[in-house]
Amino acid sequence: MSAISPEITLPMERQRNRSLSVVSTLAARRFALTARTPRELVVPLLTPVLFALVIAPALKKALHTSASYESYVAVGTIGLLIPLNTMFSGISVLVDRETGARRELLAAPILRPLLVVGNLLVAVATTALQVAVLLGFAVLRGIHFHVTASGFLWFLAVAVLFAIAMYGIAETLAGRVSRSEEYIARLPAIAIVPWFLAGSLFPISSLPLVLAWVAKFLPLTHALALMRWGLLHDSSGLQNIWRSSNVTAMASLSLAAVAVFAALMTAVSIRVFTRTAVR
Amino acid sequence: MTTTELPHVARRDVAKPRAGIAIEVRALTKTYPGGVEAVKAIDFSVVRGEVFGLLGPNGAGKSTTIGMLTTTLAPTSGTALLAGFNVAEEPVAARQISSVVFQDPVVDRSFTGRRNLDLHARLWGVPADRAASRIGEIAAALDIADILDRAVSGYSGGQRRRLEIARALVSDPTVLFLDEPTVGLDPRIRHELLDVIAGLHAGGEVTILLTTHYLDEAELLCDRIAIMHDGRIVALGSPAELRADLGAEILELKIDGNAETALDVLQARGVAGDDAFAVGSTVTVPLRGHSAADAITAVHEIGVPATTVTTRPPTLDDVYLRLTGDRLGGD
Repeated sequence: MSAISPEITLPMERQRNRSLSVVSTLAARRFALTARTPRELVVPLLTPVLFALVIAPALKKALHTSASYESYVAVGTIGLLIPLNTMFSGISVLVDRETGARRELLAAPILRPLLVVGNLLVAVATTALQVAVLLGFAVLRGIHFHVTASGFLWFLAVAVLFAIAMYGIAETLAGRVSRSEEYIARLPAIAIVPWFLAGSLFPISSLPLVLAWVAKFLPLTHALALMRWGLLHDSSGLQNIWRSSNVTAMASLSLAAVAVFAALMTAVSIRVFTRTAVR
Repeated sequence: MTTTELPHVARRDVAKPRAGIAIEVRALTKTYPGGVEAVKAIDFSVVRGEVFGLLGPNGAGKSTTIGMLTTTLAPTSGTALLAGFNVAEEPVAARQISSVVFQDPVVDRSFTGRRNLDLHARLWGVPADRAASRIGEIAAALDIADILDRAVSGYSGGQRRRLEIARALVSDPTVLFLDEPTVGLDPRIRHELLDVIAGLHAGGEVTILLTTHYLDEAELLCDRIAIMHDGRIVALGSPAELRADLGAEILELKIDGNAETALDVLQARGVAGDDAFAVGSTVTVPLRGHSAADAITAVHEIGVPATTVTTRPPTLDDVYLRLTGDRLGGD
């Protein structure tokens, strides 16, 4: 039999224009599935809220620190909440694979990286919701923030980029492990261990010299320093990293570091997904 | 036609294959990481509107073949065209004109049936107004309209399977893949689904590639069948053509002892030809113009230790046994 070819090609321009609607469809699906299991939204909040509202005031009282320590820890807990929630979001990738739903999505006439993007959007959106809830609790508890419009934009930018980066790690890990048990076993090492080193509860200058240098290479350290600059107008975290007096330059460098990390992890996650989903 | 008219005008215009060929597979090969050769350079083509069956036991390579055609598995070598679109080079276009019902249930169980159908329509780019009317038509045709707004978690196995077929049809595919569509269903539901698939065939609008290891399904539904064994296609033709290879009638002997030895004796005495075969305790002999009475008399005269001797028309199971030595059917 002779080879055949299509008489008319598919309207690929329309396909490209359709990407936005595909991503919104995928995100709507993921959000609906997430909303049906509210504990996925609540569980990651518990530990950070506990830290911000109970442990930080207790530490302040026990250690006789100033009132600003509560604010310091409240922002630090955002550095726990973002990794926890994005890593929990990655479990849904495993669920899709284990229930077979991913096969239907893979058979759809869409560009496969969009499947990652759809999940990413929901992970970032739910994380944003949780950060807002955490900050709301903190304000209700009487914790003080010093927020300006530009400070809020710094905070927003770095929080979103860090959430994107952490979701990239989650999606990558979900693509690499074969069982959800393996995924969950690795979650603390990724989501929690860096938090203790990144200036969450105390400045990295308090760490032994070697660990302080390690901390400077953690994206979370840059993210927290920038969040504190944005929400508390506290540049000490940035200065501990960069040793400069130009705050805007330091903030820009830290934002760039987190942005590069986010771009890298997103690219890796898409590559891992497309390589592992179709053998 | 028991199903509805399901044209998707925009896509039909762009996906019509030349020369009426819907699926063309050439030297398609899949070797999994680790070196397992699941599909070994198979060739076949499927005419538009045809129901084509891939028949074979578990592990024969049927699902791997469907995986490659639906672009959920990457071919190691060879080519496969869907309505002219190369699945390796134009995967999005190939997926656009096809749909698949997987062997295992693949639905979002917490969603309603309607939401599952709507999700498929959106991903396949079916316009919203078209999707709404199409979902209504298909749901009515597949008798799931009454349950469409219930969560799928409450569906029976048969209802879920119907929903999956409905979902595959929402995008009005030129090519529909059905991978073991009746596995795990009880007999009544299975026969209902066979009616649904037969209805699609009667409509003639959609080309169906069906995998199964049930002989009756293949006989009932398929215009042509490719029998797969160990990753290869070992026979291809209509059910009647395949059966005709064994003649009009066969002699089946249950042997009390070594069936291979009995077969050797029958062949040495000219009662059985080269196409006779032994599997387990059974020797099967195509009669090829010999009368059944003569053959039975010869068996008794030779003294073959047969506990039962029967004659019957050949089946696809006989065809498969002759080609592979393995018995088909049964999970």
